[in-house]
Amino acid sequence: MAAELEGSKALGGLLSGLAQEAFYGHQGITEELLRSQLYPEVSLEEFRPFLAKMRGILKSIASADMDFNQLEAFLTAQTKKQGGITSDQAAVISKFWKNHKTKIRESLMNQSRWDSGLRGLSWRVDGKSQSRHSAQIHTPVAIMELEIGKSGQESEFLCLEFDEVKVSQLLKKLSEVEESISTLMQPA
Amino acid sequence: MEGCSEPRLDAKSEVTNQLVDFQWKLGMAVSSDSCRSLKYPYVAVLLKVADHSGQVKNKCFEMTIPQFQNFYRQFKEIAAVIETV
Repeated sequence: MAAELEGSKALGGLLSGLAQEAFYGHQGITEELLRSQLYPEVSLEEFRPFLAKMRGILKSIASADMDFNQLEAFLTAQTKKQGGITSDQAAVISKFWKNHKTKIRESLMNQSRWDSGLRGLSWRVDGKSQSRHSAQIHTPVAIMELEIGKSGQESEFLCLEFDEVKVSQLLKKLSEVEESISTLMQPA
Repeated sequence: MEGCSEPRLDAKSEVTNQLVDFQWKLGMAVSSDSCRSLKYPYVAVLLKVADHSGQVKNKCFEMTIPQFQNFYRQFKEIAAVIETV
Protein backbone atom coordinates (compact mmCIF):
# COMPACT_ATOMS: atom_id res chain seq x y z
CA MET A 1 0.00 0.00 0.00
CA ALA A 2 1.26 3.48 -0.80
CA ALA A 3 2.92 5.05 2.23
CA GLU A 4 0.71 8.10 1.87
CA LEU A 5 -2.38 6.01 2.59
CA GLU A 6 -0.96 4.84 5.89
CA GLY A 7 -0.49 8.38 7.07
CA SER A 8 -3.19 10.27 8.85
CA LYS A 9 -2.71 13.88 7.79
CA ALA A 10 -5.04 13.89 4.82
CA LEU A 11 -7.50 11.53 6.47
CA GLY A 12 -9.36 14.31 8.29
CA GLY A 13 -10.01 16.00 4.97
CA LEU A 14 -11.09 12.70 3.44
CA LEU A 15 -13.61 12.06 6.22
CA SER A 16 -15.01 15.57 5.74
CA GLY A 17 -15.42 14.92 2.04
CA LEU A 18 -17.11 11.58 2.71
CA ALA A 19 -19.47 13.17 5.23
CA GLN A 20 -20.41 15.91 2.75
CA GLU A 21 -21.37 13.30 0.20
CA ALA A 22 -22.97 10.66 2.44
CA PHE A 23 -24.75 12.83 5.01
CA TYR A 24 -24.99 16.42 3.91
CA GLY A 25 -26.18 15.67 0.38
CA HIS A 26 -23.36 17.52 -1.34
CA GLN A 27 -23.28 16.41 -4.95
CA GLY A 28 -20.14 16.19 -7.01
CA ILE A 29 -17.61 14.86 -4.53
CA THR A 30 -16.08 12.21 -6.69
CA GLU A 31 -13.37 9.65 -5.99
CA GLU A 32 -11.08 11.49 -8.36
CA LEU A 33 -11.69 14.82 -6.64
CA LEU A 34 -10.80 13.39 -3.25
CA ARG A 35 -7.77 11.58 -4.58
CA SER A 36 -6.35 14.55 -6.47
CA GLN A 37 -6.94 16.96 -3.59
CA LEU A 38 -5.80 14.78 -0.70
CA TYR A 39 -3.70 11.91 -2.03
CA PRO A 40 -2.24 13.16 -5.31
CA GLU A 41 0.72 10.74 -5.14
CA VAL A 42 -1.54 7.70 -4.97
CA SER A 43 -2.97 5.94 -8.04
CA LEU A 44 -6.73 5.64 -8.45
CA GLU A 45 -6.51 1.82 -8.33
CA GLU A 46 -4.86 1.94 -4.92
CA PHE A 47 -7.04 4.78 -3.68
CA ARG A 48 -10.38 3.16 -4.47
CA PRO A 49 -10.32 0.31 -1.92
CA PHE A 50 -8.87 2.66 0.72
CA LEU A 51 -11.72 5.10 0.15
CA ALA A 52 -14.26 2.27 0.30
CA LYS A 53 -12.80 1.11 3.61
CA MET A 54 -12.98 4.57 5.18
CA ARG A 55 -16.48 5.14 3.83
CA GLY A 56 -17.56 1.81 5.32
CA ILE A 57 -16.08 2.66 8.70
CA LEU A 58 -17.73 6.08 8.80
CA LYS A 59 -21.11 4.68 7.76
CA SER A 60 -20.92 1.93 10.40
CA ILE A 61 -20.16 4.46 13.10
CA ALA A 62 -22.96 6.80 11.99
CA SER A 63 -25.49 4.03 11.44
CA ALA A 64 -25.00 2.70 14.95
CA ASP A 65 -24.82 6.23 16.38
CA MET A 66 -21.88 5.00 18.44
CA ASP A 67 -21.13 6.46 21.81
CA PHE A 68 -17.51 6.87 22.77
CA ASN A 69 -17.14 3.47 24.41
CA GLN A 70 -18.58 1.71 21.39
CA LEU A 71 -16.41 3.85 19.12
CA GLU A 72 -13.23 2.95 20.95
CA ALA A 73 -14.02 -0.77 20.89
CA PHE A 74 -14.95 -0.61 17.21
CA LEU A 75 -11.81 1.29 16.18
CA THR A 76 -9.54 -0.93 18.26
CA ALA A 77 -10.99 -3.95 16.46
CA GLN A 78 -10.32 -2.22 13.13
CA THR A 79 -6.66 -1.69 14.04
CA LYS A 80 -6.24 -5.39 14.79
CA LYS A 81 -7.81 -6.54 11.51
CA GLN A 82 -5.84 -7.67 8.48
CA GLY A 83 -5.94 -4.72 6.07
CA GLY A 84 -7.46 -2.55 8.79
CA ILE A 85 -6.38 0.88 9.98
CA THR A 86 -3.40 2.22 11.89
CA SER A 87 -3.77 3.55 15.41
CA ASP A 88 -2.98 7.06 14.14
CA GLN A 89 -5.83 6.74 11.67
CA ALA A 90 -8.09 5.47 14.46
CA ALA A 91 -7.27 8.62 16.43
CA VAL A 92 -8.19 10.84 13.47
CA ILE A 93 -11.49 9.00 12.93
CA SER A 94 -12.29 9.20 16.62
CA LYS A 95 -11.66 12.95 16.69
CA PHE A 96 -13.75 13.43 13.55
CA TRP A 97 -16.73 11.56 15.00
CA LYS A 98 -16.55 13.50 18.27
CA ASN A 99 -16.65 16.78 16.35
CA HIS A 100 -19.30 15.83 13.80
CA LYS A 101 -21.53 13.33 15.58
CA THR A 102 -24.33 15.77 16.39
CA LYS A 103 -24.44 17.33 12.96
CA ILE A 104 -24.33 13.97 11.17
CA ARG A 105 -27.07 12.60 13.39
CA GLU A 106 -29.26 15.61 12.68
CA SER A 107 -28.67 15.12 8.99
CA LEU A 108 -29.65 11.43 9.21
CA MET A 109 -32.80 12.36 11.13
CA ASN A 110 -33.73 14.86 8.42
CA GLN A 111 -33.06 12.29 5.70
CA SER A 112 -35.52 9.90 7.30
CA ARG A 113 -38.27 12.50 7.61
CA TRP A 114 -40.38 12.43 4.49
CA ASP A 115 -43.26 14.53 5.73
CA SER A 116 -43.03 18.30 5.98
CA GLY A 117 -41.19 19.81 8.89
CA LEU A 118 -41.99 22.98 10.79
CA ARG A 119 -39.46 25.56 9.64
CA GLY A 120 -40.75 28.69 11.25
CA LEU A 121 -43.45 30.20 13.36
CA SER A 122 -44.55 33.78 13.92
CA TRP A 123 -47.64 35.30 15.48
CA ARG A 124 -49.49 38.44 16.37
CA VAL A 125 -52.48 39.26 18.54
CA ASP A 126 -54.93 41.81 17.20
CA GLY A 127 -57.74 43.52 19.03
CA LYS A 128 -60.57 43.40 16.48
CA SER A 129 -62.92 46.27 16.91
CA GLN A 130 -65.41 45.18 14.27
CA SER A 131 -66.18 41.96 12.53
CA ARG A 132 -67.61 41.36 9.06
CA HIS A 133 -70.25 39.02 10.42
CA SER A 134 -71.46 40.74 13.55
CA ALA A 135 -71.15 43.94 15.49
CA GLN A 136 -68.75 42.48 18.04
CA ILE A 137 -66.46 44.95 19.62
CA HIS A 138 -63.03 44.19 20.98
CA THR A 139 -62.78 40.55 20.00
CA PRO A 140 -59.12 39.79 20.26
CA VAL A 141 -57.76 37.45 17.65
CA ALA A 142 -54.45 35.66 17.36
CA ILE A 143 -52.92 35.25 13.94
CA MET A 144 -50.27 32.60 13.59
CA GLU A 145 -48.18 31.86 10.53
CA LEU A 146 -46.56 28.48 10.16
CA GLU A 147 -43.78 27.88 7.70
CA ILE A 148 -43.74 24.23 6.69
CA GLY A 149 -41.78 22.40 4.05
CA LYS A 150 -40.32 19.13 2.90
CA SER A 151 -36.59 18.57 2.68
CA GLY A 152 -35.14 20.35 -0.33
CA GLN A 153 -38.45 21.96 -1.26
CA GLU A 154 -39.76 25.48 -0.97
CA SER A 155 -41.71 26.44 2.12
CA GLU A 156 -45.47 26.70 2.31
CA PHE A 157 -46.92 29.38 4.56
CA LEU A 158 -50.08 28.63 6.47
CA CYS A 159 -51.85 31.45 8.22
CA LEU A 160 -54.29 30.59 11.02
CA GLU A 161 -56.68 32.76 12.97
CA PHE A 162 -57.75 31.96 16.52
CA ASP A 163 -60.18 33.63 18.88
CA GLU A 164 -59.80 33.22 22.63
CA VAL A 165 -61.92 30.08 22.71
CA LYS A 166 -59.93 28.39 19.98
CA VAL A 167 -56.66 29.37 21.66
CA SER A 168 -57.86 27.74 24.84
CA GLN A 169 -58.98 24.57 23.03
CA LEU A 170 -55.67 24.18 21.21
CA LEU A 171 -53.70 24.89 24.36
CA LYS A 172 -55.48 21.98 26.02
CA LYS A 173 -54.51 19.66 23.17
CA LEU A 174 -50.92 20.82 23.29
CA SER A 175 -50.76 20.09 27.00
CA GLU A 176 -51.95 16.54 26.22
CA VAL A 177 -49.05 16.17 23.80
CA GLU A 178 -46.67 17.50 26.45
CA GLU A 179 -48.01 14.97 28.94
CA SER A 180 -47.44 12.16 26.46
CA ILE A 181 -43.89 13.31 25.91
CA SER A 182 -43.23 13.37 29.64
CA THR A 183 -44.56 9.83 29.96
CA LEU A 184 -42.36 8.67 27.09
CA MET A 185 -39.24 10.34 28.48
CA GLN A 186 -39.64 8.89 31.93
CA PRO A 187 -36.98 6.29 32.68
CA ALA A 188 -38.42 2.79 32.31
CA MET B 1 -37.24 28.07 14.60
CA GLU B 2 -37.17 31.55 16.00
CA GLY B 3 -38.36 32.38 19.46
CA CYS B 4 -38.56 36.17 19.51
CA SER B 5 -39.13 38.30 22.54
CA GLU B 6 -41.49 40.50 20.57
CA PRO B 7 -44.39 38.93 18.74
CA ARG B 8 -44.19 39.86 15.10
CA LEU B 9 -45.84 38.72 11.94
CA ASP B 10 -44.77 39.46 8.44
CA ALA B 11 -47.38 37.32 6.75
CA LYS B 12 -46.25 35.71 3.53
CA SER B 13 -49.46 33.85 2.89
CA GLU B 14 -52.43 35.79 1.62
CA VAL B 15 -55.31 33.93 3.17
CA THR B 16 -56.15 33.40 6.81
CA ASN B 17 -57.59 30.02 7.69
CA GLN B 18 -59.60 28.73 10.60
CA LEU B 19 -58.36 25.69 12.43
CA VAL B 20 -61.13 23.13 12.33
CA ASP B 21 -59.32 20.20 13.93
CA PHE B 22 -55.90 19.43 15.38
CA GLN B 23 -54.82 15.80 15.54
CA TRP B 24 -51.51 14.66 16.87
CA LYS B 25 -49.36 11.60 17.25
CA LEU B 26 -46.20 11.06 19.26
CA GLY B 27 -43.95 8.69 17.33
CA MET B 28 -40.53 7.17 17.73
CA ALA B 29 -38.32 6.67 14.70
CA VAL B 30 -36.38 3.53 15.50
CA SER B 31 -34.34 2.64 12.46
CA SER B 32 -33.98 3.48 8.77
CA ASP B 33 -32.03 2.31 5.77
CA SER B 34 -29.43 5.02 6.30
CA CYS B 35 -29.25 4.74 10.08
CA ARG B 36 -29.89 1.57 12.03
CA SER B 37 -29.97 3.37 15.32
CA LEU B 38 -32.16 6.44 14.86
CA LYS B 39 -34.01 6.41 18.18
CA TYR B 40 -35.63 9.81 18.04
CA PRO B 41 -39.10 10.78 19.18
CA TYR B 42 -41.17 13.21 17.09
CA VAL B 43 -44.59 14.82 17.14
CA ALA B 44 -46.64 14.43 13.95
CA VAL B 45 -49.51 16.87 13.52
CA LEU B 46 -52.53 16.86 11.19
CA LEU B 47 -54.30 20.18 10.88
CA LYS B 48 -57.71 20.49 9.27
CA VAL B 49 -58.01 24.09 8.12
CA ALA B 50 -60.91 25.91 6.50
CA ASP B 51 -60.34 28.88 4.23
CA HIS B 52 -62.74 31.82 3.87
CA SER B 53 -64.88 29.86 1.38
CA GLY B 54 -65.33 27.02 3.86
CA GLN B 55 -63.18 24.57 1.93
CA VAL B 56 -61.35 22.26 4.31
CA LYS B 57 -57.82 21.08 3.64
CA ASN B 58 -55.46 18.81 5.55
CA LYS B 59 -51.96 19.95 6.36
CA CYS B 60 -49.51 17.67 8.10
CA PHE B 61 -46.04 18.14 9.40
CA GLU B 62 -43.58 16.77 11.93
CA MET B 63 -41.71 18.39 14.78
CA THR B 64 -38.79 17.22 16.84
CA ILE B 65 -39.38 17.36 20.59
CA PRO B 66 -37.46 20.65 21.04
CA GLN B 67 -39.44 22.15 18.13
CA PHE B 68 -42.72 21.06 19.71
CA GLN B 69 -41.70 22.52 23.05
CA ASN B 70 -40.93 25.83 21.38
CA PHE B 71 -44.31 25.68 19.60
CA TYR B 72 -46.07 25.01 22.89
CA ARG B 73 -44.17 27.77 24.67
CA GLN B 74 -45.06 30.29 21.95
CA PHE B 75 -48.70 29.25 22.06
CA LYS B 76 -48.78 29.75 25.82
CA GLU B 77 -47.43 33.24 25.20
CA ILE B 78 -50.24 33.86 22.71
CA ALA B 79 -52.75 32.71 25.31
CA ALA B 80 -51.27 35.05 27.90
CA VAL B 81 -51.30 38.01 25.51
CA ILE B 82 -54.80 37.42 24.15
CA GLU B 83 -56.20 37.50 27.68
CA THR B 84 -54.83 40.96 28.28
CA VAL B 85 -56.01 42.52 25.01
